[in-house]
This record gives sequence, structure tokens and C-alpha cells, in this order.
Amino acid sequence: MASKNRDWADDDEGDEVTVELPPPQTIQNKDGTKTTITYRYNEEGQKVKTTRRIRLVTHREVVNPRVAERKTWAKFGVPEKEKDSPGPQMDTTSIGENIIFRLSTNWRQDTKDEAKDPNANAMKDKLKDKTVKCRICNGEHFTARCPYKDTMAPVGAEGAAGDVAAGMGDDLSAAQQGGPAGKKGSYVPPALRNSGGAAGEKMGGNKYGERDDFATLRVTNVSEMAEEGELRDMFERFGRVTRVFLAKDRETGLAKGFAFISFADRGDAVKACSKMDGYGFKHLILRVEFAKKAA
Amino acid sequence: MRPILLSGHERALTQIKFNPDGDLLFSVAKDQQICVWYSHNGERLGVYKGHQGAIWTVDVDPTSTFIASGSADNTIRLWEIKTGRCLKTWDFLTAVKRVEFSEDGRQLLGVTEKRMGHLGTIVVLNITPDVDAEQSDEREMTIVCGESKATVAGWSYLNKYIIAGHEDGSVSQYDGKTGELLDNVPLHDLQVTDLQWSPDRTYFITASKDKTARLTAARNLEPLKKYTADTPLNSACITPKKDFVILGGGQAAMDVTTTAARQGKFEARFYHKIFVDEIGRVRGHFGPLNSVAAHPTGKGYASGGEDGYVRVHHFDKGYFDFMYEVERERQNRL
Repeated sequence: MASKNRDWADDDEGDEVTVELPPPQTIQNKDGTKTTITYRYNEEGQKVKTTRRIRLVTHREVVNPRVAERKTWAKFGVPEKEKDSPGPQMDTTSIGENIIFRLSTNWRQDTKDEAKDPNANAMKDKLKDKTVKCRICNGEHFTARCPYKDTMAPVGAEGAAGDVAAGMGDDLSAAQQGGPAGKKGSYVPPALRNSGGAAGEKMGGNKYGERDDFATLRVTNVSEMAEEGELRDMFERFGRVTRVFLAKDRETGLAKGFAFISFADRGDAVKACSKMDGYGFKHLILRVEFAKKAA
Repeated sequence: MRPILLSGHERALTQIKFNPDGDLLFSVAKDQQICVWYSHNGERLGVYKGHQGAIWTVDVDPTSTFIASGSADNTIRLWEIKTGRCLKTWDFLTAVKRVEFSEDGRQLLGVTEKRMGHLGTIVVLNITPDVDAEQSDEREMTIVCGESKATVAGWSYLNKYIIAGHEDGSVSQYDGKTGELLDNVPLHDLQVTDLQWSPDRTYFITASKDKTARLTAARNLEPLKKYTADTPLNSACITPKKDFVILGGGQAAMDVTTTAARQGKFEARFYHKIFVDEIGRVRGHFGPLNSVAAHPTGKGYASGGEDGYVRVHHFDKGYFDFMYEVERERQNRL
């Protein structure tokens, strides 16, 4: 639209406020640069001062005269349309996507790292607010890595539940006394581990299995799109959830349709089981029951 | 690095070539025409029309006046670069797989195919370096390759030798004047697919179907370096300015349809010329690379693929800055 006929949508306040702007300044600096200062009003009517330092560099390129001459040649053998229009033609010449090309002696390793990164980061994000806690000594490592795993029962299991700190001292000595095999590094069958002591009390059953299954719910008919976090949020309403396991397809990353939720307290689990069975979640009706003990 | 894609051909590229100044890029394909492009922006300058069969090869003379092309229509043709005029046609009994001008531009060699009872030959033609002159019809020399047909050939420094790569993987050295066979060395296990020269033509690189490329001295065919890839190679070139070589290849064209682009290894591979390490790859083609050519000033390279595209790359600063630790130390000492 012509500048005289301003569009009705244009802001015409501009005319009123541009009155008192100081004139733009240009200062020649000693180091060969130029400083220009300009003033303007921004959209909120505030005065804005813009200072620019500019260095002018003349870049001269010497072109081989033969090359320069060839650039003036007329096109031949090409379609008429192409002949008349200078410059690259759309139908024969295009610009490809940007290629990151970095030379490196260990480029193979670099590219592998890049490929791995997204997965690694996603995993990191997932684990960010989860702390590793050993079931045996409450330390910040995996239970499998616990230095006391051969000598101590898990926290919460009968027998060793007593006091952890005191147990540690005992453990070290126990480790030194060793099982029948003697050396610490060598394999000791579970039955022979920690000979005497608390072993008898654990005989009653599988220590992990029993404890877990006791308050673990099996949730089936879970949507493919479900995330562990969502399940955790849903079930946390009923009590402290110690573990959420959502079975996922290894390749597609989609949920397989079932999950296990472990509660800290069996009472909460019972409550959750009755409330959540038949609950509608992502177009599907959840089926919740107590997990059966693994064979 | 943003490559320029040239899509002037409808079929697989067979060879691409820069002129000595590097401002023009010639491309030939199986679609019977030769295209010439400005390498800096990818603008097409012209198309040379006249061949009646797939074109296998093209070469530019040292003054950028003529190009020669060899085709499956059993001819070598000489063209004027500026106008696209066909100046001369030499007829042969079989297809022409390779042409190359001598260093002074006064001779042209052609490699003819072994077919229909005819043995593969290397012919040498005299060229009169004048656009309007009548070109001689006579063959200056004909070398017959009895044992294994030549697939590629080229002129060494000062036109002293003709070096030829053969179907059985061997490389021979012929006298440039008499055509006498001086030496034959089994460098590769399988067919030699490309032979390109160092800027001074004292050594050359050969690419082969046996997944290796080799750097060899022209004087005595002494093996200098060996570059091992994981795919059959179709082309190899030496980059000026930086001590690299570029190898191009990929799954054989006939197996392409059964291969995913990622697994087809359709990438240009950069190796360090001296240290023989692979230092980078450039992907982009979705078919094997049939020809790679380094820009004569070393500031870029182009590749032509079975997919019908030519991709012209101009290197970024990082390419020129790349140095091995030992190279950097040496530079600092000097």
C-alpha cells in the first residue's frame, strides 16, 4: 500500500512521538572504525539509543583473466529458457543440505559418540531425579555392587534389619573369616554363604521375591503410549511407590501393555488395587491385580 | 559445508573433470550428453550434444580450449569448450572407456574396450592445438593389450610413460613414444577402476574393486601407499594443497536396489595421503560414487554418483586447519 494511504491497522502514534529525537551522530575513531549513534522509539514508546561500531574492510580478490573471460561466455546447447537467464537455474542446480564435515583422526569414534548421545541423554534425564540406593546398606550404589552383599541381609528383611552401622563392623570381620571357600573373591554358593548367623532365618523363602510380590500390583491393558512417570503419578496417590516397571518394546520404545507397581506398604497396595482396577487410562480400562509370585 | 547439487543428467554419472583453472566442471553420464558447469556457483554453461551412446569418459586439454570424450558409440569426439561445436570424430571398432590429453595437449590417448572379437587397445592420436585446424585421422600409435584389457590409462610426467590399469588388477608402464611394454606389476587383486595423477604427474592413485586404493610412483611403479576401504572403489583422487586423498565407491550398482543407503557406503572417504588414516567421510549420494575429482586449487571437490547427481563441495576453514600433531609441531619449529 502506498505510504500516503496508511493502512488502518498501522499505529499512527508514531507521528506524535518522533518530535524530540536527537539527530544521529557519526564519530570517526582513531583505530579506523566508525561509531554511529542513532535514536529511535521502540514499540512501547521508550527511547532507544543504538550505538554501532563499524569497521570497513576492503576485500580484494584477484581473478585469473582466463577465468574471468570464461564467465562471460554465452550459454549453448541448453534449453532456450535457460539460455537467456543468467545465474544458476532452479531445475538443474540446487543447494544441498548442510554437511558437517570435520576431519579428525578418530572421526569414527566421534560419529559413534554423536549417534549414542541422544539415547544417553534421554537416559540421563530419566535417571536425573532417581537416586541409587542399596537395599543392603542404604549406600549410594546398586545392591549388586554392595561390598556387604555376601555378608548382610537386605535392610528390611528380618534378621539383618536391626542396625546397619553396627552390622558393618561385623561384616568386615565376617568377610575375613570367610565362607568355606576362604578367599573373598571366589564364588560361594548362596546356600553356604554367611554360614551360621542369620542364614537360618532366611530359609523361610526367597527374600527378595517375597518382599516384592507382597505389595506389587500387576497392571495390564496399559496404553502403548503410557510412560512410567504417569503410572507412578497415578499410583502414588495411594501410598509410597517403591518401584514402577513398565514393559517396553526394545526396538520401538512403545509400552507392551503391562506394568508392575511395587508399594512400600501392602495396605496401600490393597487400596490401589481396588480403586484402580477398571480405571480408564488413555482410552483403555486398566486391569489391576496382585502380582503372582514368579515361578 | 553446503554442497551444490547439479542435476543435468538423467542417468548415472560416469566421469567428472575440472579444467586446469578449476572454474569449469565437465560431467559425462550414460545419457549421451556432456555438461559443463561453473564450479563456483553450479551454473550450467552448456551441453555438448552429438554422441549416440553412453559416454564413459571426458578430459580437458591444458589450455581449456578442447575437451575430448569417449563413448559407447565407438567414437572419440573432440569439442570446442566455448561453443559446444564438435570438431572431430574418430571412429573405433569398440567402445571407448577412457581418454586423456597429454601434459602438453598435443596428444590424446584413448582406451578401447575388448569386445566382439577385438582386443582391448590403447590408441594415441595427435591433436593440432587450433580450433579451426583440420585434425588428423591417423593413429599415432596403437598398443594392444593381449593379456588383460586396459580399463584406465594416463600420461605420466613429460609424456614419458603411459600408465594403464587392467581388468585383472595389474598396472603396466608403457613407453610414451614407442608404446613398448616396460613393466607390469600386479598392484590390485581385482579390476582397476580409476587412475588419477598427482599435480606433477610423478605419481598416481589407482582405485580398484578389491576395496583398496594405491599410490604408486610412475617412474618405476614402486608402491608408495595403500588405502584400505570397506567397499569396492570406483574412483580416487589426490587433493592439492592438503595431503589427502579422496576415495569414492559403494555397493556395486547392480546390488544397489537391495541395499539401504546407510549400509551402501555411498560416501566420499578422506584419507591422509601420508599417514594412510581415514580422517573423514562426506555422505550425500544415494548411489555409489562413480567419479570423484579434486578442485585443482585444492579448495573443493566434486563427486558424481550412480544416482545421476553431481555434488560440488567447497571446503570450510576447518578442512584447511586440520593437521596432525606432528605436522603442527613441525610447523611451529620452522
